[in-house]
Amino acid sequence: MHNAERLSNQGRRLLDRRFFLGTAGLSISGMALASLLDQDGLLADDKPLTAGGKVPIRPDINPNRPYAPRPAHFEMPAKQVLVIYCPGAVSHIDTFDYKPALFQQHGKKPPGLPAVTFEGPSGNIAQPFWEFKPRGETGKMVSELLPHLAEQVDDFCFFHALTTETSAHPQGENFFNTGFTMEGFPSLGAWVTYALGTENQQLPAFVAINDPRGLARSGKNNFGNGFLPAAFQGTDFNAKHPPANLQRPGRVSAEADRQTVELLQQLNAQHLQRFPGDADLAGRIASYELAGKMQTSVPQVMDLTGETEATLKAYGVEGGSPLRGEYARNCILARRLLEQGVRVVQLFNGSDPAGGNGITNWDSHANIAKTHAMQAEIMDQPTAALISDLKQRGMLDHTLVVWATEFGRMPFLQANGTGRDHNPGAFTCFLAGAGVKPGFSYGESDDFGFKAAVHPTSVYDFNATLLHLMGLDHERLTFYHNGLERRLTNVHGHVVHDVLS
Amino acid sequence: MLAVPGAKAQERVDFERDIQPILEEHCWHCHGADEQESGLRLDLRQSMLAGGDYGQPAIVPGKPGKSYLLEVVNHLDEEMAMPPDGEKLPPEMIERLQRWIEQGAPWPGQMEKVTREKSTHWAFQPIERPTVPQVASLSPIDAFLQRRLQREGLGFSEEAIPANLIRRASIVLTGLPPTSGQIQAFERDYRQDPTTAYEELVERLLASPHFGERWAQHWLDVIRWAETNGSESNLYRKNAWIYRDYVIRSFNEDKPYDQFLREQLAGDRLGVGEATGYLVAGPHVPVATVGQEPVARRQARADRMDEILQTVGASALGLSIGCARCHNHKFDPISIRDYYAMSDVFQDIEFGSRLPELSPQHPRKMRGNVLRDELAEQRAVLRTTGPWQEDWNGYRELHFPKTKTGAVRISFQWKGARVDELEILGPRQWQKNLALARDGTQAKSVKAYEQPRGELWKINDGQYGTEAWAVKWPQDGKEKPWVEFTFSEPQVVNRIRYSSNRQDAMQTDYLEGMGRFNVSPLVVETLDAEGNWKKVFVPGRLPQLDKQHPEREPALATIQATIEKLSEEGPQPSFVGKRIEPAKSYVLQRGSPEDPRDEVHAAGLEELEGGLGLPIDASGPAKRQAFARWLTGGQHPLTARVAANRLWYHVFGSGIVATTADFGLAGSRPSHPELLDWLASELRQPKDPDVQPWSVKHLLRQMVLSRAFRQDHRPNPEAIAKDADSLWLWRFPPRRLTAEAIRDSILQASGSLDLQIGGKGYRIHNVKKRYAQWKVLDNHGPATWRRMIYQERMRRVDDQMFTAFDFPDCGQVRPQRPISTTPLQALNLLNSDFVMSQSELIAQRAMQESDQDLPEAVQRCFQLLLGRDAAEDELAGCLELARDHGLTLVCRAILNSNEFSLLQ
Repeated sequence: MHNAERLSNQGRRLLDRRFFLGTAGLSISGMALASLLDQDGLLADDKPLTAGGKVPIRPDINPNRPYAPRPAHFEMPAKQVLVIYCPGAVSHIDTFDYKPALFQQHGKKPPGLPAVTFEGPSGNIAQPFWEFKPRGETGKMVSELLPHLAEQVDDFCFFHALTTETSAHPQGENFFNTGFTMEGFPSLGAWVTYALGTENQQLPAFVAINDPRGLARSGKNNFGNGFLPAAFQGTDFNAKHPPANLQRPGRVSAEADRQTVELLQQLNAQHLQRFPGDADLAGRIASYELAGKMQTSVPQVMDLTGETEATLKAYGVEGGSPLRGEYARNCILARRLLEQGVRVVQLFNGSDPAGGNGITNWDSHANIAKTHAMQAEIMDQPTAALISDLKQRGMLDHTLVVWATEFGRMPFLQANGTGRDHNPGAFTCFLAGAGVKPGFSYGESDDFGFKAAVHPTSVYDFNATLLHLMGLDHERLTFYHNGLERRLTNVHGHVVHDVLS
Repeated sequence: MLAVPGAKAQERVDFERDIQPILEEHCWHCHGADEQESGLRLDLRQSMLAGGDYGQPAIVPGKPGKSYLLEVVNHLDEEMAMPPDGEKLPPEMIERLQRWIEQGAPWPGQMEKVTREKSTHWAFQPIERPTVPQVASLSPIDAFLQRRLQREGLGFSEEAIPANLIRRASIVLTGLPPTSGQIQAFERDYRQDPTTAYEELVERLLASPHFGERWAQHWLDVIRWAETNGSESNLYRKNAWIYRDYVIRSFNEDKPYDQFLREQLAGDRLGVGEATGYLVAGPHVPVATVGQEPVARRQARADRMDEILQTVGASALGLSIGCARCHNHKFDPISIRDYYAMSDVFQDIEFGSRLPELSPQHPRKMRGNVLRDELAEQRAVLRTTGPWQEDWNGYRELHFPKTKTGAVRISFQWKGARVDELEILGPRQWQKNLALARDGTQAKSVKAYEQPRGELWKINDGQYGTEAWAVKWPQDGKEKPWVEFTFSEPQVVNRIRYSSNRQDAMQTDYLEGMGRFNVSPLVVETLDAEGNWKKVFVPGRLPQLDKQHPEREPALATIQATIEKLSEEGPQPSFVGKRIEPAKSYVLQRGSPEDPRDEVHAAGLEELEGGLGLPIDASGPAKRQAFARWLTGGQHPLTARVAANRLWYHVFGSGIVATTADFGLAGSRPSHPELLDWLASELRQPKDPDVQPWSVKHLLRQMVLSRAFRQDHRPNPEAIAKDADSLWLWRFPPRRLTAEAIRDSILQASGSLDLQIGGKGYRIHNVKKRYAQWKVLDNHGPATWRRMIYQERMRRVDDQMFTAFDFPDCGQVRPQRPISTTPLQALNLLNSDFVMSQSELIAQRAMQESDQDLPEAVQRCFQLLLGRDAAEDELAGCLELARDHGLTLVCRAILNSNEFSLLQ
């Protein structure tokens, strides 16, 4: 069973390729791994490779231009993706997943529900804390908690039977954003930019717009490059804080800065003359040019002064809580980045629990009526305005919008009688935009919203579907690390074809 | 066939008539000769016995209850119901299969015992010392390389210029570039006698105490060692750094590699307890943040165990064994049984802290003894005056005159109390806790006032941490909390130790509010011979005592100061793993702790003769020691190859096996197989009997003295056309410096590098709230001017400087760092406070050392940063910028140049 000749056909074919790679050698100079991928590109036509028996499609990465746009695996409308991530776990049964049975069973404890959940002993069933009403032409039931988003349900495609593998926040964030509960794996944004590069070479390919209150619990892991080259990590900035070290030091004048860079170019040119033919030297020179352009283009894209009064009003920059104002500015920034061709924008609505005064994210173990309401006030109007703005500008034709959270909340209360505990068995996220079936709901949770019931959908399936919508085959987008062809979806995941338009 | 059950049981099943048709129709399509779904074949009896990828035998002759085939055809698990998507087999067929198994699963023609076939994969074959090609004046390494170069129509390049040679050797061996003085001296010696000059240089570098710092960093990368847990609160791991010191020391002492591995696996038995920091190097999710569900807690333990196995697999074995957690490895001879047998080796290890076992000669141990003597001296002074108390960072210790008693009564002065452990100690056995329930001491209090999860048994269960006795006495009454301990027989007592959560203080640091000791003061009473309670410790009386005896104050101050010293310099609880009661190990069906199957016992890989010859009840340390012997003893084909290849990778920038932590079938094949085996042989058993076996320095010496290492790095068009990647080593392949080498070089150029070796790291982060993220406070000030290996390694935190240079996040094992180029590197290296402040220091230094003469100072900057003089054309541009805007910006430009970041 262990000898090569006794391997399955699949395994044998994979080894053929590995052998080839091994003898052909990994590139030593410059961006070794990118070069490895180049070589693999030559092989990819006739050798099935992945554990699933598919041929990996290697991005053809030029080490000198790691961000150059690259073709998708197949033609799909979505060219860019916006992920709106709500850390802390949004209660599906209080927002988008309408469960009449909860009203009937309010205050009771029907059999079959667990005695202990994440935080401890469980209490009785509680009806939603907000009223539900039919919305739009589809008549989708949405609660009063999110009145602005509710207006747009005809554009959304809901997943109601999502399940995850953990009931702890950081592992849940990791799982949603990197496909693994453990740390150190590449994020969705890193995978997408590794595959597709980006259209605008003057802005980062992948921007993580963090919440005004700080990073979410998994911190940088949510937008990190894991074991992919550092070039594919998300660049961390928001409407208030530019990326670290973007601007020239305060004591250096513009003229002095220009002259320094000129001298640098001169030194590098002289060095290159002495050592022609080393590609990675040219790549490094190019990265300085790109950095120079970013110094202008990033402040430009962050500058919201050109936005109209109507836009600011629609997003809710004024008139709400200060946090809503800041989040609204982040939403406008997200639109501006997408307009400029940034490939992946990941927008956070919440931080770790220590991120500020009072409420910091959607976690609601006590007094959910208050905490969810505070969080919704921040999230609802700006997010809704962002999506409708994208629509009005025609950007939804080529932009995929993902609204997500790591798990749901329980239909019953905790022992404290005011909060809902974590529910990994059923939760809701939605998609909108390019390639997505609008006004559609996929899958159902059970009568209480406790467990996925119809078309249970794993996070692997969800991520496989996201990649598919970006024109990427989740089984063929791989990267060799430490003995394995790694994927966003590990060895799991099925594309949900029902949600494709 | 249908008959009464009793009769049926006796009826002999005929394989060809009764069984084969079932298998043929329902199974072989997916589990036959052509296809083997899940690696399972049901057309061979031997394959049925072996089972498929999940490691369960399909049949166990005579034992239907253990035969997985019956489980799946009976649809016990809906996800693994067979045949799939079809009707369940008729009960009659299932019954026939069962009877066949009961009768021993006879299968005509296939009953002979089949021995396991061995893998033919190169890496699992024994290492044979190859014959070295005989080429005059070439070392063995060069001879092997040259043979291959010739075959490719290539040859070595000429020798590199001396300035490049010394810089290359210095950075590869120590991570630090040479100073301009060292370069000049070397160039002078080289002109006299190149060979001697270079050999002396190599010996100096191998003997440098900075050698260990460079090579420790490489090792720490592989095992993703860091000083925080990762996960939700990403807490700091207190004193974990003593493991880093151990690794640095080991490389500096040229500790034999086999001993290095043995100590890291079982240092608790070898007097170097801190070495087991290796086992807990990876990230982990502490129980406290997993939640209350037992399923989640079991899963989290299995995940932690997997982190341990990943460490061992990637660093020592050179195999990715993680796949076998759920099913047999797809390519390599690692079965799911192997995985769980290996996990059994480490069942007594848990992520956490313990007091490391140190030999009497261990420097830390000896320092601790000196400090303890000082403590004893001061205590003797106090003892003549009455009771006193000591603060031990995390717990409080109350001292009172020794007294014999059958019981101790503790009264708190606040209405609430939270105590994770209360220890009663006496003078006879200084550290023995007399309050422990398991030794027969009974605790008594008022149950009605207990808080949720605050049960009384937690006060004397021997466990520190969040599990504590927690009570609230009614606000309106006069009464306050109390607890009484009754011994099984009278004891002599003289001390009480107590805390609310001692684990925090033992395990972590840099948390807001951690320093506060939040337990009420307490009164201690003992029972005298007449049965009366007698107060032996009353906190309120201490100030009066201090007044009466002026000698108390200096004694108390000295004690407190000595306690602080002990916690930095003496043996202290450190995050190097803690020992726990080992659980039994089972093969977990598809990796799920909820589905344990066969019990397994500690072993190495079966393919590599992994039997450890241990009794079934062997202790945890005994298992780990035996495993270490298996790994390093005799003819293990991987250990030496993996180690030699890794050293080669760090010297030449690419391994002979390009996938340095995967020597399995899915990894790369060696580019120079004989050279690799020669290196492995030379490591394990050097040809020269005077050379110590497993000497890392010996092998590195061979490598850096080779012609291959000493040759020029410049490309020549002809060779580039044939071998663009320099795989065959026709030149020394240039590569970008690592993050550490860039930072250390800058600090050295400015003259501000603090070269202190070892000890606690420097800190760039804040003191944070428990669930907050770490934030960078100061990544450039004087407190950070040590070598970067001493930067506190925080998982998953962007240091806003070197993360962009592929500095790892320590989440996954990182046997090789990718080398990428991104504009963020450019921005950090141009605009950061670190680079600006260092540029200024370099400029100041250059001016000072050039008597304020600008052209000379520019030359000095080139020497300090690039180790050479400026060329005419370079000088002009630099001078112009220096005159217009200052020399600082010239330094800023030079340290952004390609040349500065390149190892050439």
